[in-house]
Amino acid sequence: MTHYSSFLADVVYFPLNDFGPAMKGMIIGGLGIFHVFVAQFAIGGGLLMCYFQWLAMTGREPHARQFLDGFYKVLVLISFVIGAVTGVGMWFTSIQISPVTIGVMIDQFHWLWATEWTFFCLEVGAGYAFYRYAKYLNDKARLTLLIFYAFAAWMSLFWINGILAFQLTPGGWHDDNTALWQGFFNPTYFPTLFFRTVTCMVIASLAACVVINAMPGLEREDRRRLILRCAHFMVTIVLMPVFGLWFLAVIPADSRSWVMGGSAAMTMFANISIGATILIGGYAVIGLFMQRLYINGATATLLMALAFGATAGGEFVREGIRKPYTIRKELYSNSITPDQVATLREIGSVTQDPYPVRNQEQYPNEQVILGQKVYRFQCSVCHTIEGANGLMHLTGAWDVDMLRKNIAKLQQLKTFMPPFSGNAQELEALVQRIDWQNEGQPDTWPVSNDPAVLEQNKKWLDDAGTQPGWPKALAKSE
Amino acid sequence: MNLAAIFPFEYPLPTAFYLFWYVLTLVIHVVFMNYVLGGVTYLGLSSLAGRPNRNELALMLRDWMPFAIGVAITAGVAPLLFIQILYQKAFYTANLLLFHRWMIILPILIIGFYLTYLLKAKKVADWSYPVRVLLGLASFACFAFIAYSWTENYLLSMESQDQWAAFYGSSDIMYDNAAKLPRLGVWFLGAFATMGMLVGWQLWYKDQHENVKLVSILAIIGLFGSAGCAYIYKGMVDAHFPAGPYLYLGIACWGAQLGLWLVQLAKAKFSGMLLTLISVVCPLGIVGMTVVREQVRLAAIDLEPLYPLHKAAMGVAGIVCFLFFFLLNAGLILYIFRLVKKNWIGPEMEAE
Ligand code: HEM
Repeated sequence: MTHYSSFLADVVYFPLNDFGPAMKGMIIGGLGIFHVFVAQFAIGGGLLMCYFQWLAMTGREPHARQFLDGFYKVLVLISFVIGAVTGVGMWFTSIQISPVTIGVMIDQFHWLWATEWTFFCLEVGAGYAFYRYAKYLNDKARLTLLIFYAFAAWMSLFWINGILAFQLTPGGWHDDNTALWQGFFNPTYFPTLFFRTVTCMVIASLAACVVINAMPGLEREDRRRLILRCAHFMVTIVLMPVFGLWFLAVIPADSRSWVMGGSAAMTMFANISIGATILIGGYAVIGLFMQRLYINGATATLLMALAFGATAGGEFVREGIRKPYTIRKELYSNSITPDQVATLREIGSVTQDPYPVRNQEQYPNEQVILGQKVYRFQCSVCHTIEGANGLMHLTGAWDVDMLRKNIAKLQQLKTFMPPFSGNAQELEALVQRIDWQNEGQPDTWPVSNDPAVLEQNKKWLDDAGTQPGWPKALAKSE
Repeated sequence: MNLAAIFPFEYPLPTAFYLFWYVLTLVIHVVFMNYVLGGVTYLGLSSLAGRPNRNELALMLRDWMPFAIGVAITAGVAPLLFIQILYQKAFYTANLLLFHRWMIILPILIIGFYLTYLLKAKKVADWSYPVRVLLGLASFACFAFIAYSWTENYLLSMESQDQWAAFYGSSDIMYDNAAKLPRLGVWFLGAFATMGMLVGWQLWYKDQHENVKLVSILAIIGLFGSAGCAYIYKGMVDAHFPAGPYLYLGIACWGAQLGLWLVQLAKAKFSGMLLTLISVVCPLGIVGMTVVREQVRLAAIDLEPLYPLHKAAMGVAGIVCFLFFFLLNAGLILYIFRLVKKNWIGPEMEAE
């Protein structure tokens, strides 16, 4: 098979870092949620401003202009600075967490990313021209600039959404790696694009409500009218269930099963997200739109916080349901491809890893050091030793044989984990490394090299096979 | 002339293709990054003077700095994309080895960015001297640190696998390399010449000539300083240093810029003619130096194993889409200038 990326042909070793008690997913997820929230605010903000500019031009809303000028300053200060820098930050963080994943994605999608970049340029150009000159321009030019800005911002969503959705559902691309557009316009592309667009509109309207309350020189009645205008944008939230269900219907069966109870954490996060959205939706539709209530700054801020919670839950679920892959069926979370597993079972997963284990003096023997190396390469992307999702918490009560068997059959233990990719010796080394930790890290620790144990390890590994795990109940859906 | 001996044509077509895009986009980044570096350095150092600096140069720089930073960052995204295709493992490895040291540039960039918005606020001039100095120097320090980090990352990416492994094992935070400072100096000091060109146009456009001498002197000092650092740096990487058309282009453009700024120094006003000539030789000089910079790295890294990958990358779809939107959006950006000019209903345009 020819590979479109070097990272899929051979295992590439990187100097992997340890994030202490934090799971790597928490780092990228934390920044990701923040970035997505700010970016969605900017996109929705662009659309909202076009609407208000139109209201101003048609004389429908006497204070629309005043609102625009106040809102735009907030947008520039937040989105031009935090949005732009956290965007670069996402890139840097992705490299820290999984250089292989980002490398594969770049090899495949660099021209689409470059296309997205041309829209960043337009966004900066139009946005800054409005920021600097809007007060000196006629309405037609103001609207044109805002349309350029909103179009560019939304187009950046258009491009990045395809690349992100691809990771979960590569679609027809999976059978034909040259079919880039099939990978881009994949089964989850449109539901996520529409869903995110609505999210953008809701977040921007909530932020607008905060700004309206903070604007000086407005009567309460003026504020109320402006807020009700924002509510027009907010009611699009009623479409969210449609896009959400559409998304759920087209994701892979195993991914769906995680959110529908298969994984407690993912189900919980999905429910938090849904619950928060229902609360916001209820307030927007019943309170604002139907009963024409006033919303004060504090409530608007609270609703923003709820929206942030909903975004956080949604992003967590989106990241989580990809497991055990970062690119479905192409690349496991730990940067090993399904094709490489069998080879690594033979030659050992870290035999060629040139990077030494740090602080080797802390470990009692070479076998435990090897185990640490195996942990670093295969497990550390999703686990820590003692912190979040820590192996000590997960395996603390297991006996050694349980450790051996469960790790050998990792993909069957939990199908959201990839198969163990090392040989019998590496398995034993990892088991000893974990057990040594569970036993309180004594100064001396015996080397475990009983041939019978290694033989048993090998048998368990062979029994598990090298294929990913698949729940029996879903056998038909694969 | 043997075309195959000229960068990037000595490489197979796909590699040359990505090198071309990389250098082109990096040059754009460098131009704006230079405005930022030169500008915050000038503003930072001049904040040490007793009274708030209200000269035309300082006002102009303060006014445009946030925008220039936004453009420098946006322009940085494109070479960041291409470098990952070109060097892949080497670039990622350097990022990972620097770890916290590398990641910290993000909060620092945010702080530096906001500081420049703050510096722009008129009321800052009323604040006490120590606060003004602190603000000026802090924003300078932020961007100086970011520039330093890119240099560190670049140098580390050229090391051998054994050195990477040793650095990783040592858990060091900073990468020790004597070439860091002279190399950084090349960009840092050279930045004044590029900044001079850009801000020179801005001042010329507004018919503000109070600081013509200051801008010229800054550019001249920058040119000399940059050449001095380049000389020291060359001594350190002699084995990899290329002598060829791009080096000569860089030197020739350096000389031409020096001459033009000297002529400008003798004049009382910014000259459109001189600035036009400078605007030809300065970017060309940056192209020359950027290619030399790349040749140093290409001599240190074995790119051959990556040729097939560059070929594979070139084979993926999407370039037509990119070119289409590149042209469309470039057109729209140009149209924005026209739009603003044609629909201006405020006071005289010059006022802005
Ligand atoms: C405004 C803040 C920034 C400053 C002052 C700055 C400065 C620099 C400097 C001095 C270099 C040359 C390093 C060397 O050759 O030794 C450089 C290179 C580069 N910069 Fe920036 N930079 C900034 C922001 C960014 C950002 C945000 C990005 C990415 C989005 C970026 C992308 C790049 C890339 C890709 C290179 C080439 C690196 C290489 O070839 O190894 N820069 N920058």
